[in-house]
Amino acid sequence: MAETAVKNQEAWLGKKERKLLTDPLNDNNPITVQVLGICSALAVTTMVVPSVVISIAVVFVCAFANLIISLLRNSIPKQVRMIVQLVVIATLVTVVELTLKAMSFDLYKQLTVYIGLIITNCIIMGRLEAFAMANKPWRSFLDGVGNGLGYGAILIIVAVIKEFFGKGTIAGFPIIGNTTDYMINTTAAGWQGTMFGWYANNNLMVLPASAMFVIGVLIWIQRSYNTKLVDVS
Amino acid sequence: MEYVDLFIKAAFVENMVLAYFLGMCSYLAVSKTVKTAFGLGLAVIFVLGITMPINWVISEYLLSESRGFGALIGADLTFLRFILFIGVIASMVQLVEMIIEKNSPALYNSLGIFLPLITVNCAILGGSLFMVAREYDFGQSVVFGLGSGVGWFLAIIAIAAIREKIKYSNVPPALRGLGMAFILTGLMGIAFMSLMGIDAGQLMGIK
Amino acid sequence: MSDTGKTVVFVVMLTGVCALLLSGMYSVLKPIHDFNKKVYTKKQVISSLRTELENVGDLNDQQVEELFKSKVKELVIDANGDVVEGLSAEAVEMDKEAKKPLENRRYPLYVYEDGGSKRYIMGVRGKGLWDAIWGYIAVKEDGKSVVGVAFDHAAETPGLGAEIKDNKAWYGQFAGKNLYDEAGNFTSVLVRKGGAKNDRIEVDGISGATITANGVSEMMQRGLAVYTPYFKKANVIK
Repeated sequence: MAETAVKNQEAWLGKKERKLLTDPLNDNNPITVQVLGICSALAVTTMVVPSVVISIAVVFVCAFANLIISLLRNSIPKQVRMIVQLVVIATLVTVVELTLKAMSFDLYKQLTVYIGLIITNCIIMGRLEAFAMANKPWRSFLDGVGNGLGYGAILIIVAVIKEFFGKGTIAGFPIIGNTTDYMINTTAAGWQGTMFGWYANNNLMVLPASAMFVIGVLIWIQRSYNTKLVDVS
Repeated sequence: MEYVDLFIKAAFVENMVLAYFLGMCSYLAVSKTVKTAFGLGLAVIFVLGITMPINWVISEYLLSESRGFGALIGADLTFLRFILFIGVIASMVQLVEMIIEKNSPALYNSLGIFLPLITVNCAILGGSLFMVAREYDFGQSVVFGLGSGVGWFLAIIAIAAIREKIKYSNVPPALRGLGMAFILTGLMGIAFMSLMGIDAGQLMGIK
Repeated sequence: MSDTGKTVVFVVMLTGVCALLLSGMYSVLKPIHDFNKKVYTKKQVISSLRTELENVGDLNDQQVEELFKSKVKELVIDANGDVVEGLSAEAVEMDKEAKKPLENRRYPLYVYEDGGSKRYIMGVRGKGLWDAIWGYIAVKEDGKSVVGVAFDHAAETPGLGAEIKDNKAWYGQFAGKNLYDEAGNFTSVLVRKGGAKNDRIEVDGISGATITANGVSEMMQRGLAVYTPYFKKANVIK
């Protein structure tokens, strides 16, 4: 009895399970390697706060969709597989929408279209097809969390870069700018002024298009270190 | 006139791919050659053009509190729109696939493999959600659907053509393929921004 | 049971369960949603006074509700400038009003009273570059001098058009402007590209966001004029 209990405990977060969580963060990142789910959220990466909200939503939907589909995997009729998956995802996304609307109406207003687009976020469908349909519930759940986090990580990195260079703030907290409201005042006399006096907010970074540049460069950096990912074609 | 304006706006100014970055997955995955991009682009125009008006009818006459079924039972059912929209899209794609398979096997063979992909193309669902958020009427929703489809088509053709050419350029190995595609899309997005504020009436000499 | 039968039953059951779950959740959360929506509008309305009342932007939901209860009167004005009885300003949805014929439209008017002073807050709605923009304009007892404004937008470009909402230095310019010129004609406040020329009735534009700024000018010109009949009838403007 005791022995099996220990074994079970190991299985909860064993080596394989940990790999399910960490793999998507780098080697198998949904955005930079699997090229999935770029669609929905790039336009919200201008600011950190909405990106964090979308990331949490994706982690939630991805994890629970994986869990539910994995539980149902043996009873889902083959012909309607896609529709069943979509119904489950759409339900979870609506749950997220309703919750957000109750928690922060301000954010809900900003994100309403993008929350809906989580449904067609290819990561979620992709993981359901590739993993949840063939694996046990707990491992599918972990896989969902891992992929959601991998996705969120890129989103937040992009948002931090864009908000800092575009607006001089991070998550709304003023860092570098031209009035005394900012932590580093670029116009004041003294060391701050002489050090950062050249910096003016870069409006290019605020535009949605610059998310593409940032991700392009991130892929470049990642592949320079992780040469096994380089496209041979 | 208003429709021409909306069409141009949807196709160029508010291009689904280059202004909102919707439908990126298939856009990046299927844009390696112009030929396949062309097939997928056509299918997207088709599906967007059909699903948009259907979803309009659903959201106005089934879900909204003020008209049709929603008014009949006196409830605001808009929280069900995600499920219904995606259901319509999935079944439309299925239907289109079946019709094409029956009537034109040649077209089916060249298009067939891309059709299921369209269900999870964010541009389709995004179009429907934008349509609701912007409160278009029926005619506008048809034009908006077709316009966004054409815009998506143009964008994927353009990137596919560039990617075919860029194969012969000396790009740093780590940036080859995907990385370059991202940067190209960003540049195209900025290029398309110059179409902002375009006035269809003035273009055609009416105003 | 045949395969098709099983499939149908499965899909119907799944959809049923999902729909039930969502309906339940929706009806539980609906009161919170409605409250949030109301407070969201109220916060915007009251933040048009933020140049005068400093802490007004930081109030929480409950405080906003209380402030409205104790100090704000909500009126609805019709196209002739008469007060519509039995309606509250927050029930007027500006986007729906904009679709009605002119003579049937109704306009919200909030009257803020504190001690002896009175502020009128008017709602306006128009078009920016991408989508709708709207705002609330607060004026003094005379119905002419602007105290402050609060704009919002559905989808203007962050850092450019969105500055109408975010840039304190920009919307701050409106304070102290006048909606009427020296001769007493209604002029509204004009956003002028390249810098204001007439200090009384003009403010500077936003570089890179000319279309949004023009939208603001247009929306104020058209949206504020409709309140004039009321102000004349109520003897606010003589």
